Amino acid sequence: MNAPLLELRSICAGYGTIEVLHGVDLVVPPSSVVALLGPNGAGKTTTLSVACGLIQPTAGTVLVAGRNVAGVAPEVLARRGLVTIPEGRGIFPNLTVRENLQMATLAGTRLAAVEEVAYGRFPRLAERQTQVAGTLSGGEQQMLALARGLAVDPAVLLLDELSMGLAPLIVEELYGIVATIARSGTSILVVEQFARTVLGVADIAAIMVNGVIRSVGEPASIESELSSAYLGG
Amino acid sequence: MDKFLVFTIAGLSSAAIYAIAASGLVVTYTTSGIFNFAHGAFGMLAAFGFWQVSVAWGVPTIPAVILIVFVAAPLFGAVVERVIMRGIEGSSDVVKIVVTVSLMVALLGLAQVIWPPDVSRPVPPFFEGRSVEFAGVRVQWSRLLALVVAVVVAGGLRLLFTRTRLGIAMRAVVDDRSLLQLNGGRPGRTAMLSWGLGAALAAISGVLYSTEQTLSAVTLTLLVVNTYAVAVVGRLRSLPGAFLGAVILGLAQSYVTGYINPDLTVGPIALGNLAAALPAIMLFTVLLIQPEARLRSHGAARLRPPQPVPSQRIAVFGGLALVLVLAALGSLIAPSDLVLVTKGAGFALITLSLVPLTGYAGQISLAQLTFTGIGAVAMAAWGANGSPLAVAASIALCAAVGAVIALPALRLSGIYLALATAAFALFCTAMIFNQQQIIPSGSVQVPPLSIGPFTADTDFKQLVLLAILFAGTGNLLVWLRRSAWGRRLTAMKDSPVACATLGLNLTSTKVGVFALSAAIAGAGGALAGRTFTADNFALPSSLPVTMLAVVGGIGSIAGAFMGGMLLGAIPIASTVFAANAIGVFRFVSIPVRDVLTFTPGLMGISLGREPDGAAPQIAVGYRAVGRSAAALAFTVGGVVALWLATRFGPLAKWSFAAALFVFVVAAVPLLPLILRPVLPEDTAPPPRRLACALWLALVTVAAAVFPWADRISSNGVRILLIIVFAALSARVAIGILGVAPEQLRRPIPPSPDLVGVDRPLVRADALEATRQMGLSEDDFEAEVEAIGLEHVTASRGASAVAGADR
Repeated sequence: MNAPLLELRSICAGYGTIEVLHGVDLVVPPSSVVALLGPNGAGKTTTLSVACGLIQPTAGTVLVAGRNVAGVAPEVLARRGLVTIPEGRGIFPNLTVRENLQMATLAGTRLAAVEEVAYGRFPRLAERQTQVAGTLSGGEQQMLALARGLAVDPAVLLLDELSMGLAPLIVEELYGIVATIARSGTSILVVEQFARTVLGVADIAAIMVNGVIRSVGEPASIESELSSAYLGG
Repeated sequence: MDKFLVFTIAGLSSAAIYAIAASGLVVTYTTSGIFNFAHGAFGMLAAFGFWQVSVAWGVPTIPAVILIVFVAAPLFGAVVERVIMRGIEGSSDVVKIVVTVSLMVALLGLAQVIWPPDVSRPVPPFFEGRSVEFAGVRVQWSRLLALVVAVVVAGGLRLLFTRTRLGIAMRAVVDDRSLLQLNGGRPGRTAMLSWGLGAALAAISGVLYSTEQTLSAVTLTLLVVNTYAVAVVGRLRSLPGAFLGAVILGLAQSYVTGYINPDLTVGPIALGNLAAALPAIMLFTVLLIQPEARLRSHGAARLRPPQPVPSQRIAVFGGLALVLVLAALGSLIAPSDLVLVTKGAGFALITLSLVPLTGYAGQISLAQLTFTGIGAVAMAAWGANGSPLAVAASIALCAAVGAVIALPALRLSGIYLALATAAFALFCTAMIFNQQQIIPSGSVQVPPLSIGPFTADTDFKQLVLLAILFAGTGNLLVWLRRSAWGRRLTAMKDSPVACATLGLNLTSTKVGVFALSAAIAGAGGALAGRTFTADNFALPSSLPVTMLAVVGGIGSIAGAFMGGMLLGAIPIASTVFAANAIGVFRFVSIPVRDVLTFTPGLMGISLGREPDGAAPQIAVGYRAVGRSAAALAFTVGGVVALWLATRFGPLAKWSFAAALFVFVVAAVPLLPLILRPVLPEDTAPPPRRLACALWLALVTVAAAVFPWADRISSNGVRILLIIVFAALSARVAIGILGVAPEQLRRPIPPSPDLVGVDRPLVRADALEATRQMGLSEDDFEAEVEAIGLEHVTASRGASAVAGADR
């Protein structure tokens, strides 16, 4: 196995005086989907924010493709092929669909290429090119967000709570696309609270509780531990 | 018909200038989220800069325009963003407003220092003498130029924001700053760009305006009010709306000038100033027809740590002490200085009016002195004999006017209240304070209060009266803050949405607190017992009141007093320094008085470096001074002692300045630390208080004794040396003490709600929770036994909390 594309080593991080992560170790190997699961408030989103550079850790190191990226701004990481789709629709609600796609080109892809991939994969977005993104349905908004991950063709894709507030049918469809992206060779770190939806896609699953990774393993073996982690057994 | 056409064209050309200025305002607001009150000041600087380059230095027009509009202005805007505005991102509306208003005041002061207002500076119009014939009317080319530029600006902005990736990124920043970063955009660079663009647009409007009117720093700066009245039509966000507003205002002002006879009067009010009042009228009309703003649940602004509320006992004793100290001071000092101290006490009362509004309710008003003016005018009209009834009536009038002003703006948001109050100030200046019928020959004498045999007819009596008023009002405010209504205000400041869901009527609560604030400010006028000029009530005088109130620490009564005294101290300092000048460079000699005119602005801007007002160590120390009565007494005592020594004793003015500076910079921030009692939970080695106090006394005396004026001939070197000496003294003092003022900041204990998120619950948490709920440990154990939970407490703390909850 090659060196992992994304690695967190004993990360501590938090907000102000409150520490949320107490030494998180997480490895995302090349061409694999890692699911980060855990109950509300376990620190999953904070872990993701540290990985993409939005929050600087107070201790520990973040390695992207083996290089320490401590202190590197998120926009620089984004231009180096690390795409993050944050929690709650990673779109700009007051821009049109087309303008949103145009923002995806900031990382270095040409607009024509982005549009081709996005409209090809999601024909509904093509119909709504000039519509303001905030007026799209929840599923369409998430598609628009995911289109960026698809079109930019990143080395690492970080996904936060893709299922949030969406109907199960749409969630299934979206995870189908995640699986496609994974097959293309992108390494993916998915954060989910509702674990069952993601276990089918993931190669590795990690359970996070109270700011530490409690266990890592095959999805099938992790599944049995889930309820105890969520209910605090 | 010709007349109509003439005024239409004139109106359209000023509409074009408004539209350009407003589009700059809208661009910075939509792309950085900060409403730039200094926008007019940017334009003003550009206009003066253009005069300097093209008229004074004789540079040809086109290079001069390029230099000002395309080089200097964007650079200036970008620097302002980088140095000042980046620091206040994500802070509350109040801080954002105060910082930009401070910038406006500082720039205004700076411009008046560089280009003294007593010289006329004509700028020849573009294409001088050339005109075209249009339907029988001669139209100057310069008029047409304004229209053409406006159209080009409109088209250019539209292209920029919809067709270019940069423009779209500028809009995206507002939507979600961190998402743009995750996309690979650079929000910092985008923000600098948008401020540069905004400043360039301000510069275009300023340069165009400079060719039409005589250059006046104040008028140009206050054009921002016309500009935002125009921008409000588009809810401060839409460019087409702003252009529409510009056409309406430009035409309306032109027709009013053309068709309304200036001698026409409505009651005592002559309509000659109506054109100046139109922006305010337009703003209020637009506010009235706007639908009520939706409450937003997201984006709770970072708040300062809560200010401790003093107990009523402390407030009563503090008030008594204040009255006694001011009375003692007033009996000691010379009559000419007594006037100034009395003025300072009057200002303190007016700053106090902002404590409930800004400190408790988180709203902001920029026009407190307008209410003071209304109080003063009403008192002069109704209470010639100083009757308390007339005082009550004047105060009631102010409260009523305040409620009426606040109602339309408060339905929207905090920023609109600030806009509305500023427009209201301009309206009152034009329609009330500058009316010969109401304030003859520009000054109004407020009769002194007279109750039975007592008449506040001397400065000393007036000072004591104001001190009593301040103490009484301060006590009333402390009482209100501790009452149910006070809790409601605090709750509203923390989360309007939560309050609305609890059934609290936000609008009526806000209107109530605004009326209270207006009433206190009005009392400051009705009871001032002195002569005011119309200028005292104008907007440029009001702004420092709000700024210094916030800088002094708006959440507390002591902070308001400090703010008021700062305001009072500026005129005192300028009389002391009247003859001195700072010769920093050989060829620029700035009179100290002029420096003092823009210090309030600089103080306000300093807030932007640390929006919570906490971090610069000195500021932490100063704020702590407000919290510690002993430190406050020492501060005031020290300043007074130094001043008395100068007034009656052997101290030279420069020695006074040096000693005062050393005392204020080195000693005052450390006072709370030196005077703080040792707490049992202090684990650090005790600070060496005595040694530090001796050192501070030593350096202050040294600064006072050293013959600065004789030994050092250059003013600039002298000031530099004093600053270096003070800074070194402060550094050494901190070294001796072994504790930095930063440690005065109390650590915020983690909220109990987060326990369990960041670490597992333990039994200590359960005990802490019970203690906070006021149960003793015995009660807790008893309760646990009663519900049969012993085994649970033994094993798991989390359930114990649940048990204690019952």
